[in-house]
Amino acid sequence: MIFWEIAKRNIRLHFLRSTLAMLGIVIGVVAIASMGILGNSMVSMVSDSLSSVGDSVIVYPYTGGGGFHGGGGSSDNLKITDQQFQQIKRVVAPGIAIPVHSTSERMKVGVSKDYIVASVYGIDPQYLKDLNFELTAGSLNNANSGCLVGSAFAKDNNIKVGSRISMGTDGSKGTLRVTGIIKERGMSFDISTDNAVIATQDWFEGTYNTGKYYDEIVVKVKRDQDTANVKTIIEKQMNKRDKVVMVIDSKATLASIYETFGSITAFVTAIGGISMIVAGVSIFNIMMMSVNERIKEIGIMRSIGTQKKEVMSMFVYEAAIIGVIGSVVGGILSLLAGYAISALMLQSTKYLWTLSTVSSIAVGVGFGIVVCLACGIYPAWQAANLNPIDALRHE
Amino acid sequence: MLFSDVAKVYPLPAGDVRALDGVSFRVDRGEFISIMGPSGSGKSTLLNLMGCLDTPTEGDIWISGTRIRDMSDTELTTLRRDRIGFIFQYFNLFPLLNIIENVTFPMMLKSGRDVDPERGKEVLRAVQLDEKLFTHTPTELSGGQQQRVAIARALINNPDILLCDEPTGNLDSKTGAGIMELMTELNRNGTTVIMVTHDQNIANYSRRTIRISDGRIVP
Repeated sequence: MIFWEIAKRNIRLHFLRSTLAMLGIVIGVVAIASMGILGNSMVSMVSDSLSSVGDSVIVYPYTGGGGFHGGGGSSDNLKITDQQFQQIKRVVAPGIAIPVHSTSERMKVGVSKDYIVASVYGIDPQYLKDLNFELTAGSLNNANSGCLVGSAFAKDNNIKVGSRISMGTDGSKGTLRVTGIIKERGMSFDISTDNAVIATQDWFEGTYNTGKYYDEIVVKVKRDQDTANVKTIIEKQMNKRDKVVMVIDSKATLASIYETFGSITAFVTAIGGISMIVAGVSIFNIMMMSVNERIKEIGIMRSIGTQKKEVMSMFVYEAAIIGVIGSVVGGILSLLAGYAISALMLQSTKYLWTLSTVSSIAVGVGFGIVVCLACGIYPAWQAANLNPIDALRHE
Repeated sequence: MLFSDVAKVYPLPAGDVRALDGVSFRVDRGEFISIMGPSGSGKSTLLNLMGCLDTPTEGDIWISGTRIRDMSDTELTTLRRDRIGFIFQYFNLFPLLNIIENVTFPMMLKSGRDVDPERGKEVLRAVQLDEKLFTHTPTELSGGQQQRVAIARALINNPDILLCDEPTGNLDSKTGAGIMELMTELNRNGTTVIMVTHDQNIANYSRRTIRISDGRIVP
C-alpha cells in the first residue's frame, strides 16, 4: 500500500536519523536479552551444581543459632541420639530415615606422602540404595573396611576401585579400601559426596567411638508424601518442649534458591529495560519531528480525501519499521552479547543454547517492537487529528 | 452545489468573527465560476466550505444532493476523495512520490490498494505532460509542469467539482494562460470548475463571477 511505501521512503530520506533511533532500540534489546540470557545461564549453572534432591528432609541437631548447618559435621557434642532417631523413624514412615555420622579427616592416598583433608561419612550400607548413589565404577557392596568415594575426590587423587586410603595422621584411624566411585552429584542438602569418603556406620562408630549419636538424619520421603508435611511432622514430634532439632526441607530450599535467582534475573533485565525506555524516548522524538516536518503534507493528504486512520497508519508503519529492524538486529546481536557475557562472567557458554535463551531474546525483541509502536502511536494520532485547514496553511 | 443562507462564525477571545454571513448561491453541473474579492473578504472560508474541509455555523450546503451539515469527519473525507478535485496555488505535490504515484494517489485511497499506473499515464497525457517526466519526482519539474500534475491528480477520480485556489497565482503569465486553457477544455468536457482568484484576466476565462466582500456576496 502507498502509506507503507511513503513510510519506507521517509525512513530512507532521513537515513541517519532513523539509523540512530534503530541503534537505540538495538542497544535496548541487547541489554534486555543479554541480561536475561546471563540470568538464565546463572540459574542453569546453579541448578546443575546443586544435586536436584527434591525428595529429602534433613534433620540436624539444634545448634542454638539459625542458618544452614553444613553436612561437614558438627564438632561439638550436639548430636541426635538413637532414641530421637527412632522417634523420627517412626513418624516419617513410610519415608525412610537414614542416620548419618560425619566428620572431616586427614588422610593419605596410596603411597602419596601428602595429607589431604576430606569429609568422611559413616552410613549403614543397607541405606546406600535409598540415597540413590549412582556409581561410575565398583559396587555399593561396602564391607566394613571398604568405602565409597566421590568422583571429584577420586579424580583429584587418582583413586580407582581397589585403591587404599590411610585414614588419620600416620594411619592412626586405619586403612579403607575403595570399593566404588560415586558419580558427580553436585552440592547437596543431605550428603555432599563429590569430595567425600563414605565409610560404613560400623567402621565410623568403631573408629571414632561415637556410639549411636548421629550428626544428621536424612529422611527420604515416599512419592505420596510431601516434604513440607514431613518437615512439620518431625518438628511437631521433636520440638515439643525445647527446640532440639532443625529440619530442612530440600524441596522448599531449592525452590527459594531458584526464586532468588529468578528475582536477580528480573532485576538485571529491568536495568536493561531502562536503556529501552531511553530508546523509546528517542523514537518518540524522531516521530514527533517527522510529524512536524510534514504538517503541510498531512494537510494536503487530508484535503484530497485521506482518512485519519490512513494518516495514522503511515506514521505507525514508520515506527514499526524502525522497531522491527532495530529489534531483530538487537536480537541477533544479543546472542553474541549473551555469549560474550556468559564466557566472561560464568566462564562457560554451555547454558547458552537453551529454551530460556530463546525466550530471553523473544522477550527483548517483543519489548523493542512494543516500545517502538507505543512511542509512535501518540505522534501518529496527533498527525491524524490535525485540522486540515490549519495544516494546509502551515509553512 | 447549493449554499443556503450560509454563515461561518469563528469564536475569538476578542469577540466572534463572521467570516461569511448570509451567503446563498447555486452552482449547476458544468458551470465555470470564478470567485473574486479582496484579501480577508471570506474567499478562503468559502472555498474551505465548498471543499468540505469545514462545516457552516448557520445555513446549509448541499453537494450533489447531499447535505454536508452533520456529516462525520469520515463521511466528509470520503466526499472530498470521491467528488471533489483540489488544485492549489503552490501545487502541493508529495515530494516522496514520483509523478505517476502522485497522480494515482487519490485513486489508491479510493480503491484501498495499488492501482494500474496506466490510468495515471492516461490522465497525465490528457493534461499534456511530457511522457519522459512521468517517473520523475515533483522537484524535478517546472511550476507549470507541476500544476499540470496537480490537475491530473485532481481529475483522477472523475470528480463532480474541481475547486481551484489561485491556480495560476504562482506561474508566469504564459504558463498561467496554458493552464487556464486546459481548465477551459476540461470544463468544455463537462467538469464543473470553481476557481478563487483576484486576477481579472484569469476570471475572464470563467462564465460567471461571484464577488464577495466582508463575508457577503455583492451583486
